[in-house]
Amino acid sequence: MKTRLSNIYDWIDERVHLGGLVEYMGKKYVPVNRHSVWYYFGGVSLFLFIIQVVTGIMLLLYYKSGEEFAFESIHFIMSKVQFGWLIRSIHSWAANLFVLAAMIHMFSVYFGKAYRKPREMTWVTGMLMFFLALGFGFSGYLLPWNELAFFATKVGTDIAGVVPFVGKSILIFLRGGEDVTGATLSRFFGFHVAVLPGMFTVLLGIHLLLVQRQGMSEPLHGADESGTEKKTMPFFPNFLLRDLLLWLIVLNVLAILAVFFPWELGVKADPFAPAPAGIKPEWYFMFMFQTLKYIPGKILFMDGEVLGILVFGLAGLLWTLVPFWDRKSSRGERNRFVDYVGLFVVLYILALTIVGWIV
Amino acid sequence: MKSSTWLIVVVLALGGLVGTASAQDQCYACHEGLGGKPVELFRHDIHRAKGVTCADCHGGNARTDDMEKAMDKGAGYIGVPKGDDISRACAKCHSSAEMMKKFGSSLPTQQFEKLQGSVHGKLAVSGKERIVQCTTCHNAHGIVSVRNAASPVYSLNIVKTCTKCHGDPGYMRTYNPALPVDQLEKYRMSVHGMRNAKGDAKVAQCASCHSSHDILPVKDPRSSVYATNVPETCSHCHSDAEYMKEYKIPTDQFDKFARSVHGVALLKKHDTGAPACNSCHGNHAATPPGVTSISKVCGTCHALNADLFSSSPHKKAFDDRKLPECETCHGNHEIIVATNQLLGVTQEAVCSRCHSEGQSASGFASARLMRGLIDTLEAQEQKAIALVEEAEQKGMEIGEAKFRLRDARQARLESRTMVHAFDEERFKEVVSKGLGVTTSVKEEASNALDEYVFRRLGLGFATLAITILVVSLYLYIRRIERRQAKGAK
Repeated sequence: MKTRLSNIYDWIDERVHLGGLVEYMGKKYVPVNRHSVWYYFGGVSLFLFIIQVVTGIMLLLYYKSGEEFAFESIHFIMSKVQFGWLIRSIHSWAANLFVLAAMIHMFSVYFGKAYRKPREMTWVTGMLMFFLALGFGFSGYLLPWNELAFFATKVGTDIAGVVPFVGKSILIFLRGGEDVTGATLSRFFGFHVAVLPGMFTVLLGIHLLLVQRQGMSEPLHGADESGTEKKTMPFFPNFLLRDLLLWLIVLNVLAILAVFFPWELGVKADPFAPAPAGIKPEWYFMFMFQTLKYIPGKILFMDGEVLGILVFGLAGLLWTLVPFWDRKSSRGERNRFVDYVGLFVVLYILALTIVGWIV
Repeated sequence: MKSSTWLIVVVLALGGLVGTASAQDQCYACHEGLGGKPVELFRHDIHRAKGVTCADCHGGNARTDDMEKAMDKGAGYIGVPKGDDISRACAKCHSSAEMMKKFGSSLPTQQFEKLQGSVHGKLAVSGKERIVQCTTCHNAHGIVSVRNAASPVYSLNIVKTCTKCHGDPGYMRTYNPALPVDQLEKYRMSVHGMRNAKGDAKVAQCASCHSSHDILPVKDPRSSVYATNVPETCSHCHSDAEYMKEYKIPTDQFDKFARSVHGVALLKKHDTGAPACNSCHGNHAATPPGVTSISKVCGTCHALNADLFSSSPHKKAFDDRKLPECETCHGNHEIIVATNQLLGVTQEAVCSRCHSEGQSASGFASARLMRGLIDTLEAQEQKAIALVEEAEQKGMEIGEAKFRLRDARQARLESRTMVHAFDEERFKEVVSKGLGVTTSVKEEASNALDEYVFRRLGLGFATLAITILVVSLYLYIRRIERRQAKGAK
């Protein structure tokens, strides 16, 4: 058995020179410190993305886009296709866990100042992937063409339409017309299964390449704690096996969620029906939705909603560009301001999300 | 002073007052000499008797015999009031409790307000005035009490008064072309109309049901003849034992109806499609349905049941015995929800009133069989519902089976209708269709429940396998790291 495996390895090595890569991986070390646990969330996000790709492809085998077929095809998947219910449920649950894991990964990188030089590009690609993940969530939510998704998309695209100057064009582009119709569904389907995955794959490739090339960042305050030798662990096999261990646990959690809390399909969308009470966006959009609800109609000379959207846009941009304005961290100095901003953002998102679900 | 003496003094004083008021009406004094219909009629008018002068409605000065002064426009003389001014002139007193009290009247004072809010208070086609003025029904001069037989609104006269407009197709077309104009003809055919024509002032006439001043369209929920209000309107008289005493008919119809399936639907659930009194008895031509016509009355809504019954062997049997068809089993005013208990040979079943094991063995056997079958179908349907609910509660997708439960319910309802054919074979056919549906629904629901168990088991095995893998991996990592630590030393 062993000989056969080594024969296969030799056959490949002879053609693509695997030896160099294995040697490189063998020499690669991951820092060990009291914040090491956060390193794993990047891997968990990757694992959940892989699950999304696999289950998404499986759903594609039966899913039919279009006003007349979308809801029915999902119903068919859930009731008639062998294990269809499991695949659909895992896809929906993994989507949410993916955003959650990516969010945790993003904040851990932010608070650890891992975005500082030389990892600016890694942070920017990560942020772009995070925005794409939100896009995946928004576009995928409409695909079952159920009542909640229909009205949430209507509200979501309405908000996009408020952006000054380009809002109307964005709304028409997203909806494929003035209203949310079958054209919107086709568009969202296209974004969800072709445009977004294509862009995401390119960014993911760059992101992983950069991580491999530059290695894991160490927290600022951990690096200069003492003069003692830094603790590390080999990336291969130690870190990779630990990653695998966590992936298995995540897989188990996913299976439990899918079986005990199967994702409901709801009622088919009816564009002529009145919006049902309690329309809420996905939890990761809740803080923005809630803010726009509370914001006064008029602030100074500006429309409150427009101002809110502009502030969120600007905040997102500043957040993405943090490696370029946080010069102190790049110099290895402690930057309290960045910590406070981060803390405020976390508390704000948590508070508004909770309020949104309770109210 | 004795009380009788006091009474004489009061009567004389009042007479003196009236006499004084009339004596002051110089308009009447002069016009009486001139003659003419208005003054002729006004002689017996209740208003004159109460001291109302011509000037109170026409304006001017009633205290002078100088025609110029009496009919001086500067002194407020308006002549013959036109359009809405007519009703306004009446309302000056009739809408003022103070004025009415002054004239010693206890009449209500909201008539004008009610008239304005009524269907008659809408603008006339001219667009300048309302359709109906007070004088349209009460006349202008010669107005007498509503209890006076000379009044156009007296119980025996009101029908003719209303018909002046409501029986004129040319006139009615301008306001409501859809409204029939043959109500009077119909009314004269009804028990109410016939008695009214014979001089019975107690029976219902137009105003008894439609009210007088605040008449509203039948589709207006505030109308006394709106579907949900009809039973109460009829019960004003028909539930009054004292009032109905001389007619020797029961007065418990409203109470019975309110308890009935129709009454509950109409009065409690406000289902305007449910029958009210007039649905069976008619409205203008209200007549109690007889033995031969009752099934036709019920059949207007329960058409299928009536058809099945008419072609059933029971039709002839009921006719021979002069039994009212539907009423024999279901009753009339107090029709309760038809349950399976009505069918069969138990004590509460209606079949057993005629069919007994000894006297009518085949009918008895059929009744027992049909009851058994319908009970089975109902029990199977309940089992299917319970299984579907259980599967649904467990989060299983069971939409199709749930949808098909409607077919089972439909079959059960069909079987209940089919009872009226009193044909074993046709009944069995419908029931077996229902049983087929319940069987397949139960099977589907059971499969969903099995799938539920399978999913839980599958999850259990998967979790176990993954946990073993996790533990093994953990141990393997520890082993590697221990070996690495030894190597480092």
